[in-house]
Amino acid sequence: MLSWGGAYERAQQAALFAPYTAATGRPVAVEQYDGGLDELRRAVADGEVPWDLIDMTRSEAMAACEQGLLEPLSSSLLAPAPDGTPAEEDFLPDAFGRCAITHSVFATVVAYRTDAFPGRRPTVIGDLFDQRRFPGPRALQDTPAVNLEWALLSYRVPLEELYRLLSTRRGLDLALERLDELEEIQWWEAGDTPPRLLAEGKVVMASGYNGRFFDAMVNRGAPIAILWDGQVQEHETWVIPRGSPHPEAAREFLRFATTTERLADLARHIPYGPARRSAAVRVTTHAETGVDMRLHIPTHPLNAERALVKDETWYARTLARIQALFRDWRKSRESREPE
Amino acid sequence: MDSISATERYRRGPLAVVRFLGLVLLGAVIGAIASLFAVGFVAAVLALNDLLLISPRSRMMFDHPGLLVAITIAVPTLGGLVVGLVHLAIPERRPHAPADVIAAVQTRRGRLPVRAGSLSALGALVSLGAGASVGQYGPLVHLGATLGSLGARLLRLGRSDDNITIACGVAAAIATAFNAPLAGIVFAHEVVLRHYALRAFAPVAAAALVGHVIATNVLERGALFHVADTAVPHPWEFVAFLAIGGLGALVAGAYMGTLLGVTRLAMRLTLPPPLRPALAGSLLGIAALWVPDILGMGQETLRFATIAGAFGSGELLLVLVLKIAATGLCLGMGFGGGVFSPALVIGTLFGALCGSLVGQFSGAPQETFVFYAVCGMVAVTAPVIGAPLTSLLIVFELTGSYALTTAALASVTLASPIAAQLFGHSLFDIQLESRGLDLSAGRGRAVLRSTPVVELLTEECVTLRPETPVAAAVTALCQARHGEGYLVDEQGRYLGCVGLADLEAAREATAGDLRVGGVVRLARSVLAPDTSLWDAMEVLQDVTGEALPVVDAEADDAFLGVVFESSIARAYLAHSDELRREEHGTG
Repeated sequence: MLSWGGAYERAQQAALFAPYTAATGRPVAVEQYDGGLDELRRAVADGEVPWDLIDMTRSEAMAACEQGLLEPLSSSLLAPAPDGTPAEEDFLPDAFGRCAITHSVFATVVAYRTDAFPGRRPTVIGDLFDQRRFPGPRALQDTPAVNLEWALLSYRVPLEELYRLLSTRRGLDLALERLDELEEIQWWEAGDTPPRLLAEGKVVMASGYNGRFFDAMVNRGAPIAILWDGQVQEHETWVIPRGSPHPEAAREFLRFATTTERLADLARHIPYGPARRSAAVRVTTHAETGVDMRLHIPTHPLNAERALVKDETWYARTLARIQALFRDWRKSRESREPE
Repeated sequence: MDSISATERYRRGPLAVVRFLGLVLLGAVIGAIASLFAVGFVAAVLALNDLLLISPRSRMMFDHPGLLVAITIAVPTLGGLVVGLVHLAIPERRPHAPADVIAAVQTRRGRLPVRAGSLSALGALVSLGAGASVGQYGPLVHLGATLGSLGARLLRLGRSDDNITIACGVAAAIATAFNAPLAGIVFAHEVVLRHYALRAFAPVAAAALVGHVIATNVLERGALFHVADTAVPHPWEFVAFLAIGGLGALVAGAYMGTLLGVTRLAMRLTLPPPLRPALAGSLLGIAALWVPDILGMGQETLRFATIAGAFGSGELLLVLVLKIAATGLCLGMGFGGGVFSPALVIGTLFGALCGSLVGQFSGAPQETFVFYAVCGMVAVTAPVIGAPLTSLLIVFELTGSYALTTAALASVTLASPIAAQLFGHSLFDIQLESRGLDLSAGRGRAVLRSTPVVELLTEECVTLRPETPVAAAVTALCQARHGEGYLVDEQGRYLGCVGLADLEAAREATAGDLRVGGVVRLARSVLAPDTSLWDAMEVLQDVTGEALPVVDAEADDAFLGVVFESSIARAYLAHSDELRREEHGTG
């Protein structure tokens, strides 16, 4: 099994892996990664795939599927809802891909230190780039995705037009220009870095996964808050890599981990929106602190008012070029920075 | 007088209310149909843009740069060829447009041919899909109007009612496309009906409302602009907005001039008509390789033009000039499509240019940049479509910003009247004038101008041969109780008009066998069969007599009959009365 580590893996451990082992007697061995397809590509090419199942973002799953790195999956292997509703009707309408099955919806959001800006709070995503009103260093993920979206959104363009505008050279230039205006950026790769940087006071605003920020706020009492405006929602999926050593076992686990009961339980450990409706209505309080989890889930209507759904088809086709552009920009930025 | 009051009584009362409610219901039904067609049209254009690699998103996702260059030139070229072939099947060999709708309503002929309407819509769909620099609202308006006209025809409604159903289709199309019901209602009144009557208002409003409901449920589109809450223009900036209005009128003039100029030029080209849009398409494609902003409707260009710093000043000027040229080229050479969306883009680029120049010279922060862009947009668009109020309402309904609407008002205040003085009421009116329909003196004259006098023709007159004895002629006239006779030879050619008094005098004076051909003829103007009622009235000013002969000069001066002075006067009064009732009627 390949997953993301940190608070997310702890939640999976409690809600999925431990119950699975208890039910079947089979242990689950987990390795960590920070996303990306390079390792998988190498493993498939070498014919030595060490994982049976990977927890992958949908955009990467789509790209991996197109490149032939994944086994096809069928929705028929999923369990029906407790009331008998078939899985196809119970899951979100776009939960099934050719090689991936969405189990949760998470969001990349901006969080900020609540003590950093006396008398004011960021309210819109454009505030991430407003260093006059919200001074201090930022931490951003070292990928073009989400950063470009937020940078262009800061010009107050409508959500619906975002990817059309990002598809033009002018839109990309505007976005990079906005990112360039930020004086100090700490780039992160692993999901638990941004909550740590915020908690340690090394940055005042950071992008990150909503589950990790929740964990820092609720479990560790960090003085941070989430800015939901402009949250970028993404599907988290299960995929089986091509050449997996135990594909049948992987399918069996996948069926177990996507039952209504397990998904609802996962959302009691980490605030990700369950991909099936029967599970979403069963989400209650946090397993340890008793906090109402519904208010921390990205798909909750209050949080989702200005949510951007990541255009994964767009990324699946353009990622390589966008990444190259982003790398060039980072290089030129670094060359301009004083030593 | 009794008959008039009876008619008035018929127009009030419970039956009239039922009739009126039926018309409102019909308006809503036509609104729904027109709105669904509009939604389908917009969706089809977007799908074609994605499929043919015209939309930025599809171009970005297509990872073959070399092939993309070829496609950028090939798609508009082949699209132009297809459009040219489609237009060959329209009797006039040109796409029908809002100008035809205005003509149909203003001359009260209220019939829009379905075949020409659907072929025009198809041509516009291909044009827009293939990335021509044309607009989508014109075709939507015409499509809505054609559906309205069809509804009236199927239900066999009268002239006033079919004008209303046409206006309903127009209002629904605008309300759906912009998701702006008020703008839809005002556009139908301001541009198409050109009068305000409660009888028309209610059905048109019903159609626009249905369009709005369908648009909000089906088309999920973002607002046209987002304005920072804090940005409020300084008082001195209103002077700039007024100036943008004045200069915007000139940009509108340049835009209309280019379009009409290319249209005239295209007529002189020896190229077969279907190849003209193909040529325009290939030129557009080549230019778009360097300046992709001019391709298609230009929604992305428009959006970027509202963002301070997205374009440099020089770039704004370049794109502005190229967009005017590209639109002129596409529409003038025979692509089908509207003038409104390109005008929005051109105006916004112009406003952005003004905004960035003001920023450069004043050194002020560009917090109100979007105000300049919107002012420019309205200043160019309002004169082109001849609809200042509609343009303002579109800004208001799309932005929800009162401050922005007020700034736009400042620009429209100068733009529309200056453009009207210099160039004409609107591009539609200029086009109609070139086709012989002058709407500058209002609807009454247009109606009279478009009614041929032949409709009032009668053969109940006395025709005389030149060889008829005068005595016999006098007898014939007396028996028929006419004071004038018309000389016609054996071939039916008109030779002149003689009066009873002159015949009588001639008989008294000669007492011989004088023939009618020898009697002095009356100085009497003749009318051609296609002379309009308006021109006949002009002729009548210099005539004293009972009727005017109608002679077909093209058929060897054939005498067709006469039009009595009294029937011209009656027709004029009837037309005026109908217009008065239509424009002031309450239900």
